[in-house]
Parts: sequence; C-alpha cells; structure tokens
Amino acid sequence: MENTYLTKKDVIKLNKDTYIVTFENIKFELGQFIMIETKNLVRKPFILGTWNNHPAISVQIKGKGTEYIVKTQNNIKAHFPLGKKFIPPSGKGMVIISPTCITLANLITKEYNCDVLVGSKTPLEYKIPFEFATGDVEFANKVEKLKKYDWYLISGSKAMENFVLSKIESNNIYVSLEEYMGCGIGACKSCAVFTKNGVKHICTDGPIFRRDEL
Amino acid sequence: MNLNPPLIIASGPGGNGEYLKLINPEYIGAYTLKTVTLNPKKGNLPPRMRDKEHFVINSIGLENPGINHFIENIEKYKLNVKTILSLGGDTKEEYIKIAEIIDPYAQYFEAIEFNFSCPNVKKGGLSIISDKDEWEEILKKVRKILPNTFLIAKLSIEGNFVETSSQIVAKHNWEGITLINCVRGLIIENGKVITGGISGPILKPISLRAIYETRKKLKDIYIIASGGIYTEKDADEFLEIGANAISIGSALFKDPNVVEKIGKYLKGVKK
Ligand SMILES: Cc1cc2nc3c(=O)[nH]c(=O)nc-3n(C[C@H](O)[C@H](O)[C@H](O)COP(=O)(O)O)c2cc1C
Ligand code: FES
Repeated sequence: MENTYLTKKDVIKLNKDTYIVTFENIKFELGQFIMIETKNLVRKPFILGTWNNHPAISVQIKGKGTEYIVKTQNNIKAHFPLGKKFIPPSGKGMVIISPTCITLANLITKEYNCDVLVGSKTPLEYKIPFEFATGDVEFANKVEKLKKYDWYLISGSKAMENFVLSKIESNNIYVSLEEYMGCGIGACKSCAVFTKNGVKHICTDGPIFRRDEL
Repeated sequence: MNLNPPLIIASGPGGNGEYLKLINPEYIGAYTLKTVTLNPKKGNLPPRMRDKEHFVINSIGLENPGINHFIENIEKYKLNVKTILSLGGDTKEEYIKIAEIIDPYAQYFEAIEFNFSCPNVKKGGLSIISDKDEWEEILKKVRKILPNTFLIAKLSIEGNFVETSSQIVAKHNWEGITLINCVRGLIIENGKVITGGISGPILKPISLRAIYETRKKLKDIYIIASGGIYTEKDADEFLEIGANAISIGSALFKDPNVVEKIGKYLKGVKK
C-alpha cells in the first residue's frame, strides 16, 4: 500500500457532470479502489479501472471535493491500492453501470469475456466503445431486453441497482457498493454493511460483493 | 510515560494498527487501539460517518469483537510501536469486569486508557461519568485491580466540567487523562437527521480550553490532548498550554502523512 502523489494525465468529459481522469502511476488489481485527498477533511474513494491504457477513475462532480479532483492542476495525494481483487465466475458476463464506473467496466472487458451497458442520466458528450442508454426510459428498455448471461456486475446509484435487480435473475450477481469511507484500510469501521454473514466492511471485504450475501 | 515523539494515534480512527502500513513507526510515540468492550458490539446501522467543512461526524457505535475475542487474538494486536489499550463498557459492572479480565495481560501495554464517554446503559444512556458516585467507584476499583498500570481516563466535555472530572481522576491516583473525546452533534442530510460525535478542526478551541483549565488545577497529571490536531502549530499550542502529549485522530482521514510531519517536527528532525 502506498500513500503518495498521483500525476494526472488526461481529463475527459463524459457527460454533464462526469469525467474520466487518467493517471500515470498506480498499481492495482481489478475491483480495487483508491482514496484521494481533496480540500475536504476526509479522502474520497474511487473504484479503479483503465482508460486509453492508463490507470483511471471516473468522477461525478457532486461538491467541492470531487470538483477539486477534476479541476486541479496540482498533483493529488492518495493511498492505494485498497479492497479486494474481483474475480468473476466463468462464462460470459454483463456489466451494468453508471458513468462513474466506466473505467472499471473498461478494464473488465480487457480481462474477461463480458458485455457492458452504461446508463447515463444525461447525454454522453464523448464516444465510448460500449452499449449505452440515455435517461431512465431508454435504460429500462435496454435492461428488460437483455439476454441471459452467466454473471452480472451492477454498479451505480441505489435506485439503478434496485431497478436492475428487479429485472434479472441469476445466482451470480455482484454489486459494487459505493458508500462513504473514512480510512479505506479497515481501521475506522465507518463503511460497515450488515450482511447475512455478519458485519462486513466495504473497504476490506469489498467493494464488490456477491448480491446473495447482502 | 516517556514517548518520543509525544505523539499518540487516538483510539478509533486509527483502528488496530492498520495505519502502520502507511506511517513510519519512528514518528509515532504510541498507538491507541480501538476501544474494546466486555461484550462484542456490532456497531450502529449506517450511515456511520460524514465530513463537513470543519468537522467529521461519526456514529460507529463502538464496533468491536469484545474482550474475550481480543485476548484470544492478543498476538495480532501487538504492534511494532508502544501500544495503549482502550477499554469501555455499558455499565459500572462492565468497567470493573473488563479491568479484571485484562489484568494478566496489562504488562503488554504502555498504558490502559478507559473511555469514559460511553453511555451508561443502565442509567438511560447518560455518560458513565454523570453519576459521580458510580464513576468514583469505577475509578477506585480499577485502580485497585490494576495497581501497576499507567491508567488514563479519557473524558468528554459533557456531563461535567472537565477540570472537575479531571480532579476526581487525580484523586483516585490515575496517572493520566485524555482531553477530549468527541462532542455530540447532528447534521441534516436530505431532510434526514444524522446524529454522532463531532471531531476534527472544530474541536480544537474546545479541547485547548479543557486542557488549559485542567492544567491550572492539576500540575502533575499526564495530559494527552485530543481534538482537532492537524498541524505542527496545533501540536505546539497544545503542548504550550500544558499537554504532555498530543493525539491524532481525524487528521488520519485527511492525510496519514500529517503524523509523520508532526512526529518529525516534535522529534526535532529538520523538516
Ligand atoms: C471514527 C471515529 C471513531 C472513534 N472511536 C473512538 C473509540 O473507539 N474510542 C475512543 O476513546 N474515542 C474514539 N473516537 C474519538 C477520537 O479518539 C478522538 O478523541 C476524537 O476524534 C477527537 O480527536 P480528532 O479531532 O483528532 O479526531 C473516535 C473518533 C472517530 C472520528
Ligand atoms: S473506511 Fe474505514 S473501515 Fe472501511
């Protein structure tokens, strides 16, 4: 684990409020995340992926902290890699995500056999190599028409996750939990989830969980 | 306690040594473990933490595996820095029981801190110190059970003036006090009330005052400052006002490196 400065490479605008930020120097495995320092008091977690062959995160601007990550010219401090490596089951997968997980989706397609569906609330301003839907209606239509896959990974807002979960049936559903985190390393216990197997911590037991465990 | 540097990782934010993966132990005087209670605690339902401009609010609910599990796994809690154990309880009886259970293991720790901000479950959830007679009984009995241990009472500002509480701690011959613990607070998020303990920069003037008033009354007791320490200047101010050591909690969430910076400074190493 490292606590060091990241060198930003590119910032790509994806839609109205979401950006892909690529970096020079991050070593990590699929499913892991990074805690990035902002002007706020607590670092913010971002799931890691790749874009244009560089380590990358996708940031939705929600406040001053996330805006800082996108806009600053300075090198940013962060600690990483955090969380567990994700290994999907065999067979073909379907990754259903919001734009904030696009770099993760991109990395999975490089390592595993899977399709991707991106649901964006606002029109995409940048061409992506994945199937996408704009707005809730188009997204719902596309989810309902999905064929059967061997495994699914879902990551987005709670509402989106719940909708998708109501439409698909499988024993191999994974969800990436995006909750508030204090430390990212298992120390502070702020990221607890109450699961069938007791209290788990997103930062050390996740961030990707089997749906049937939750 | 002779800590070099006089810098302690506070109980809770630092977990049970996890930050040693990110911080050079040379710059840590002692590491306080997360509070352990008699019985295991699952902790509170989420949301458990938020940060605003000048503070962090948390309601972890003392999630911990309980003292028996702790002792069975005591090897895992041995760190490569001086370690302070933090103990808590829900009732007077629990504080006394946990002291008895830890007695054979007390020598593993540089000191044992008793977290007296825990609500007294039998007394309607008020802080354990708000019933003075019960609290004095705890102080007296724990002192007797652990005669050779460096005992620290961690106090919050609620339930009593801290300088008054500190004098009671001193009267029972405890060696140290940690001032202060989180202060109760509340935020509203999307119309929903979230309650918790406030930490971070907003606490600094409050903890400075607590230490100032306590030091005026007690010349010899070992005081650990806690609350809003983020910089070398913060550390200086607390030491000037009468603290013997400073402790760092929430600042770990901003940047674990602040510990190294402050630790280096306190060790007199050139920045
Ligand atoms: C997430 C979190 C968990 C905490 N848990 C404990 C605890 O288990 N025991 C304890 O004595 N204090 C606990 N505290 C209080 C801290 O040790 C410290 O006294 C307080 O946060 C003020 O210092 P700070 O401003 O440096 O954070 C906790 C604080 C936070 C933020
Ligand atoms: S974020 Fe601190 S324990 Fe998970």
